[in-house]
Amino acid sequence: MYRSQQLAVKYLAAAIALFGIMTVAGLMSAYYYINPDFLFGILHFNIAKILHIDTMVIWLLMGFMGAIYWFLPEEFGRELVGIRLAEILFYVFFGAVAVVAVVFIVVQYGNSNETALWFINQGRKYVEAPRWAAIGVVVVMAVFAYNVIGTAYVTRRVTGITAVLMIDLVPLLVLYLDAFPAISNMSADLFWWWWLVHLWVEATWEVLIGCIMAWTLMQLLGTSRRIVELWLYIEVALVLGTGILGLGHHYFWIGAPSYWLTIGGLFSALEPLPLLGMVVHAVYDAGTHHMKTTNRPAFYWLLAEAFGNFLGGGVWGFMITLPQVNLYAHGTQWTVSHGHFAFWGAYACGVLSVIYLVVQKLRGLDHLGGTLWKWSFAALNLGLVGMVGALLVSGFAQAFVERAIGGSTHDAFIAGQTNPWFVEGMVTRFIFGLLFAAGYVALVWDLLTIGRRAPVLAAAGAAE
Amino acid sequence: MHVDDPAFWRAGAISTVAIMSAVLIMLTIDSLAAISPGGSNVPRYTVINQHIDYKFDENRGNDVPVIGGPEPLFGKAVDAAAAEALIDKGKMVIQSRACIDCHTFFGNGAYYAPDLTKAWLDPAWETWQAITGATTREDAMVKFLMNPEKYRVWTRTMPNLGLTQQEAEATVAYLKWMASVDTNGFPPNFGHMQSKQ
Amino acid sequence: MSEISLLQSALLLGLYVALAGSYGLVYTIARLQDALILHRMACILYGLHGLTAIAIVAWTPLQIGWKGLIVASSAAFLAIPPITWRFLQRTHENEVRG
Repeated sequence: MYRSQQLAVKYLAAAIALFGIMTVAGLMSAYYYINPDFLFGILHFNIAKILHIDTMVIWLLMGFMGAIYWFLPEEFGRELVGIRLAEILFYVFFGAVAVVAVVFIVVQYGNSNETALWFINQGRKYVEAPRWAAIGVVVVMAVFAYNVIGTAYVTRRVTGITAVLMIDLVPLLVLYLDAFPAISNMSADLFWWWWLVHLWVEATWEVLIGCIMAWTLMQLLGTSRRIVELWLYIEVALVLGTGILGLGHHYFWIGAPSYWLTIGGLFSALEPLPLLGMVVHAVYDAGTHHMKTTNRPAFYWLLAEAFGNFLGGGVWGFMITLPQVNLYAHGTQWTVSHGHFAFWGAYACGVLSVIYLVVQKLRGLDHLGGTLWKWSFAALNLGLVGMVGALLVSGFAQAFVERAIGGSTHDAFIAGQTNPWFVEGMVTRFIFGLLFAAGYVALVWDLLTIGRRAPVLAAAGAAE
Repeated sequence: MHVDDPAFWRAGAISTVAIMSAVLIMLTIDSLAAISPGGSNVPRYTVINQHIDYKFDENRGNDVPVIGGPEPLFGKAVDAAAAEALIDKGKMVIQSRACIDCHTFFGNGAYYAPDLTKAWLDPAWETWQAITGATTREDAMVKFLMNPEKYRVWTRTMPNLGLTQQEAEATVAYLKWMASVDTNGFPPNFGHMQSKQ
Repeated sequence: MSEISLLQSALLLGLYVALAGSYGLVYTIARLQDALILHRMACILYGLHGLTAIAIVAWTPLQIGWKGLIVASSAAFLAIPPITWRFLQRTHENEVRG
């Protein structure tokens, strides 16, 4: 096994660990809605939420990096350039994440000065990590880019997939520079912030996961390089073709010119179209292989990715993307419903698919299957869909009562939050969150034990 | 080039991304002018010396901010430099206390606490004036921000974030300025309608 | 728009895309299985999608441009599964041959 692949395993393990922290912080965040006095005076909602959303970003990033570190040495036919540096930086990265989290929990707030931004909390959503840690992230990503581009340079071997990946890494890194400024003007702050957030999760990350899925398909289904590269280019064209100006759907209400209502609404309304193509493609692949595969969990998580992406991003997104609806849905639990579903479908399922693929290779197995992964798959997906459905009901109630009827005043906010449908949605969301957490526990147990159980089970898996 | 040839689609991907990126950059340059203080959509920070309202505009079909006559904050008009200092400080408070992880600003943030886009114009401050014993809206807001846990109005309470008087005043100034930004009508119907359970 | 109209519009828009996705899913399975009943089901699903588009045009307070976009997108949703299918067949056949 290449050193890069050993590093990949570390990143993927770290990703799974952070997934767990994310889940715990998510349960806490959900619980505040049910019991508002929970940890009052000790740890408030905003800190739990910061832990929840920031670990989500980091676990997925680590998942992408792990996947790429895994696939690249085979792609290039050699160890990655600068691997020693990358190995050291893994520990630095993980250590920094831990320090940042502890400071969030223990220190929480600083005074209104630069010191607080540099060392405690920057207070901008998803990029709350203090500037010192943001510098660390830049260094880690820069070395990551060096590992990729440096190896391509040395081997003079650039495949279609690696070319797309390398080109994608540049905006990925440059966009992250918005994690540093503290612009006083909220309109300008949010304008640039959305360049980072949207052009990460609805553009550069889509390309990253596209590259990762290309390699996954080659290994899982034996699809040829020519086919996956052809489809990768089509995906990049369609997803970025709609997603780059789809950024405008975040510019409806932040003080930006009103032409964004048309441009943003139009392009984001087109975003589901390529996702339908992805669904057809996924079903085609599944069908032509008669649902047979040497790695059932990886295959099923791949299917979950295609469907989750379409439903969470496409269907849920389309419900709220037109400005006439968004005016009322904006900044409500409806947004939360879409966000959870889209992130899960577009990225989490794909990373889990790769993790199972890596586990199969690590354990040197011809086939990977069993029963526990099915329980985990069911609990995680049902838990997620249950949360999403509950949040949708709460979101409908909030948009209806607070925005459409109430006019979004403070009293209207309270009316929305205390509406019985809203409250029931919050309780239901928490219950499904517990199911999701149970699925996570099953996932971890499965990843630790799959392929290591009694030979009869491994044989049964092979016979499936 | 044929549709079966990956090179065809590679060219398509490159040209699509290039064109869309170019359009985005052009629109960004235009938008930055509009959203700079003093631009078409975002007033200068000295707007905190004036009365701000939010009324329906028939031509545009949505609510728009209306900037009126003098109404100095805390009874004291400030010059451009002082206004900017207040806004800078207010934003620092908002970031250092991670307000956006409970509240929303222009609808962006977290959804545990109310949206603050038009908080300056919220009718509820009349209630808080009574509760806090303050004589003006801004004094009520300052009193609330410095000790929110003392002024519970429902089951969810805002925690004490250790704001000084100066920080609280800067935050209020920030909220007043924010209420003057033209957000294309978000939030809709603010203050025009009665909320019902 | 009114609060009722808001929920109606949003639900119709979500249903519109969900039915497009269902049509795409069933169309592809129908092609794989070569089953007439599935082809018919795909047609029914697209028909329902079309009805949703008509409902959006007739009953939501969206402006004419957006309604035009809905209609145009419906045409695209109709075409995407068969075009994707044909292209997938073609690229995979070329692989086998070449």
